[in-house]
Amino acid sequence: MDELIQAQRDLARALGRARAGEDRDLAQKVRESGEQVAHMLAGLLKLTRVHAPDNKAFDMPVAEFARGLSSLLDLLGTVHLVTVEDQVYVNDVRIRSEAKTGSHELGPELHRHDCGGLSFHVPLSDPAIRALVRELVAPPAGDARRAALVARLQAAGLTTVEPAGIFRLRLEEGDEPRSPDAAIRRILGLVAETWGNLQDGRALNPLPLRRGVLEVLDAGLGAPAFWGGFPSDAAPHAVHATEVAMVALLVAREAGFSSGFLQDLGIAALLHDAGYLCPGIGEGPAAFARHSLEGARVILRQRGFQEAKIRRLRAVLEHHRDFATPHARPTPGGAILRMAEDYANVARLFGGRVLRADGLGAMLKGAGTLYHPVLVQVMVNALGRHPPGTLLELEDGRYARVAAPARSRELWDRPLVRPLDPRTREQQPEIVDLAKGPRIRRAVPG
Amino acid sequence: MSQTASAGQTPAPVAELESTPAVLAASARGQAAAALVASLGKAARAFTLYDPGNALVHQFLGEYHARAEAATSEGDVELAVRPFDLMLGSEVVYREQDRERSLAFKLYKDGVRILTFARGVVSDELVRLLQILAIRFIGVRQAEDDIVTLLRKAEFRSITFEAVEGYAPEDEVPELSIRRRGGEPPPGFDTPFPKLPAPGPIAFSPIPEDALATLRAEEAPEALAPSGVRLAAELVAWGARGAVPAAEVAQFCAEVRDYMVADHQLGMLGALADLAHRQAPGPLRDQLLRGLADARLLDAVIASLPESGGELPAEALQLVPFVPAGSVMDRIAAEQSPERRAVLLGVVAARLPADAEAVTARLGKLPADLARAVLALLAQKAPDHADRASMALLEHADPGLQIDALRALAGSGQSIPTAPLLKLLSSPDEAIRIATAQALEHHGDTHAARAVAEALTGRKSYSRAEALALGRALGSLHAGAALRLFEGWLEHKRRLLGALRVTEHEELLRWAAVAGLGVIPGPEAEQRLEEVAKWADDELRRHVHGTVGRRRAEGRRHG
Repeated sequence: MDELIQAQRDLARALGRARAGEDRDLAQKVRESGEQVAHMLAGLLKLTRVHAPDNKAFDMPVAEFARGLSSLLDLLGTVHLVTVEDQVYVNDVRIRSEAKTGSHELGPELHRHDCGGLSFHVPLSDPAIRALVRELVAPPAGDARRAALVARLQAAGLTTVEPAGIFRLRLEEGDEPRSPDAAIRRILGLVAETWGNLQDGRALNPLPLRRGVLEVLDAGLGAPAFWGGFPSDAAPHAVHATEVAMVALLVAREAGFSSGFLQDLGIAALLHDAGYLCPGIGEGPAAFARHSLEGARVILRQRGFQEAKIRRLRAVLEHHRDFATPHARPTPGGAILRMAEDYANVARLFGGRVLRADGLGAMLKGAGTLYHPVLVQVMVNALGRHPPGTLLELEDGRYARVAAPARSRELWDRPLVRPLDPRTREQQPEIVDLAKGPRIRRAVPG
Repeated sequence: MSQTASAGQTPAPVAELESTPAVLAASARGQAAAALVASLGKAARAFTLYDPGNALVHQFLGEYHARAEAATSEGDVELAVRPFDLMLGSEVVYREQDRERSLAFKLYKDGVRILTFARGVVSDELVRLLQILAIRFIGVRQAEDDIVTLLRKAEFRSITFEAVEGYAPEDEVPELSIRRRGGEPPPGFDTPFPKLPAPGPIAFSPIPEDALATLRAEEAPEALAPSGVRLAAELVAWGARGAVPAAEVAQFCAEVRDYMVADHQLGMLGALADLAHRQAPGPLRDQLLRGLADARLLDAVIASLPESGGELPAEALQLVPFVPAGSVMDRIAAEQSPERRAVLLGVVAARLPADAEAVTARLGKLPADLARAVLALLAQKAPDHADRASMALLEHADPGLQIDALRALAGSGQSIPTAPLLKLLSSPDEAIRIATAQALEHHGDTHAARAVAEALTGRKSYSRAEALALGRALGSLHAGAALRLFEGWLEHKRRLLGALRVTEHEELLRWAAVAGLGVIPGPEAEQRLEEVAKWADDELRRHVHGTVGRRRAEGRRHG
């Protein structure tokens, strides 16, 4: 067959997959409804120059805005109304604003609050729209104007309206990739932010998480910043999610999975416990039993069918599932997440009295029943004889913590470590390569 | 290669694609690079206008390959990405200021700053790059990926890129304080921890590559469809236990369906359909069945049809209950192959009587032969809809079909609205007018009687057959009014007036009146007929005798 024809067929299929579920004229529908919503919002803000938002004059335009927004949400799941310089976009679709001055005025109105856009996650009621208008036309406050607006919206119960920063295209961003320390800070921040968004009823936005995972992969999973000594102000659940993500990514990379799979798995790992946010989930065994399914439901709220979504759903749904579960054996993604989760929990819950290597040894014995028989050995190979975080007593009398996973088969039992300050027992910034340095006397729990 | 009807016939979009971005490159290398990116941009944007199978897309694809080959024949092409420009060294090789159309802007916005095509760039990678850009041009619900993440997934060898954070809030870092710590897991989360075996020793153990390859295959794109169906099955099971709302499960199953349709996964679609069918009756099953029914399934069913027609594969048959018959009706008229038409008719038949209304509504737009076939299906599978189907055909372009429909209506025992029938009384086709009168004889009302009388008196020229049909209709519809009218039409002109010859129209009215008296019950009508026979000429007398004979025979039949 003609190579071009085959290429064309491949393209047709790929594009069909990418836009599965999207109508051919979805962009046009979004453009039309988006124009209406942007125009109506600008009009509502303008109307406050004459009437207070609780005036009857607002009844009709508020109702129209509510209808337009609801119809857009129905199409898109989440509506991102973004102003960039003199243009207005709804979920990347540019809104015609040449003929209508209304939407032109939206940007300047939002910019007063150092805000360049609004994301709407659910339809708004009449009182909620009036409250939104009231807060948007209020004088900006303080130095952190957007933060102040966010706080006022929260106070008004508008948690599902999310102001975004001002978008501008910057010519100079610096070409240096983010350092591992900066990358880990970003990941921790993103997890905390995502949990906050989900708690407030907003839809999941996986793209920033994906970019975060990519930065970690670019920086290299062997970077010590990814294996301990996380910032002390980080939310504990974000630390846990990040630890699970690092182990999962390490195992997947060691098993030779594709970049796409690694990205998807990384996001799943960062979100795997989001089911605990389900209202009324309770505590203890009941919450434990429900959170995987509730986590999957959080992901289900994202509209449309993507390969990543399926992987994410499966992994989150299966992340506590035993390998030998009859008729429901976990997928590799779910199996990796299960191992990473259990390993991270062994370290988190029992690290004071159990060696990480012993945790791995116990898990290795569960191969084929609790864990995937191949993947659990992959994890052992990847983490090393002394997994990151292990406290070691060195032959020179110093104590040190393992700073990174195994670098190779040859160096499997001779990791990089950070010595502890003998007085404070704090880790020192210096990295010691045990392939060159003192031998290990013993590993110590703690 | 398919070509949509919209494609190729719309010069405006072609002109839009042909509008070449500004290029300031003067060197040969610069111009070659400019030709490459122009062809790339044109091909990527073509997907916003045309079906991917369109011949124009094929042409653009060919140009793109040729330009890429030419541009990279002597070395790498490293393009610096600016908001609206692509630069090769100091030369502008692409400039497009319209953000929605601009290839440079799409790349820049997502953070790509350098894009390099290596010398002798691999053809397959060119296609996949085009795919990535096209997805960004056509897609709307795109929270999942941007160009950078898609490029990273592609793992190109001969196309490289450098990227930064692109379209981000300028004050992201100063505003970090707004990142609230909202939402925490409950205390003691992830406990009780599962009981593990006693620890054993650990050692490095190499993993055979084939074991890893098996694992990777389970997560390969080819495994996505079965994985989606398996996930749907799990969610359905949770839904059946009440742990997940039925609406959420149905929504997910519909998303899986859309993907399977796009990916031509007929078998998996069948499995999905089976999943819904296997549920116990109840709200979940209802929502699943409702949610899966979609016109797009027809694409999958049609794709499974051999060119020569024949039987639908078993997997496609499973989908038939979910294909709205209306969408088949919309498609069937355009289908040229009689064999494939027959299969599509089979799908319509399978959807009856449930979709009878949708089928009926579209009947009038079908060509005559197909409409007859569908009419026969309706009569067989949805007899309750037969009258509505006949009504739908009253305005069909084919007179034969109109007459068939009128005859069917004439024989119907149900009540029929008369307005559409009355319109046909003024049809230019006499056969239609006669059939209409015959239908009205059974379904008319007082208003119709007036219209029939006007039809008889308003026009001066029509055939005797039409006069008879109209007369019978009038007699049936309003006996009292008819008797009064017939009295006038049958008045025997004596003396001087009798010597005058009656006009042709008056003669037709006499014939109509005799026919009409034939259907009016009671002795008065028959007595009037006998009186007419006394003065009528031979021809009219024979008509009277025939009418009386028929009338008596009918009277005997009805007791």
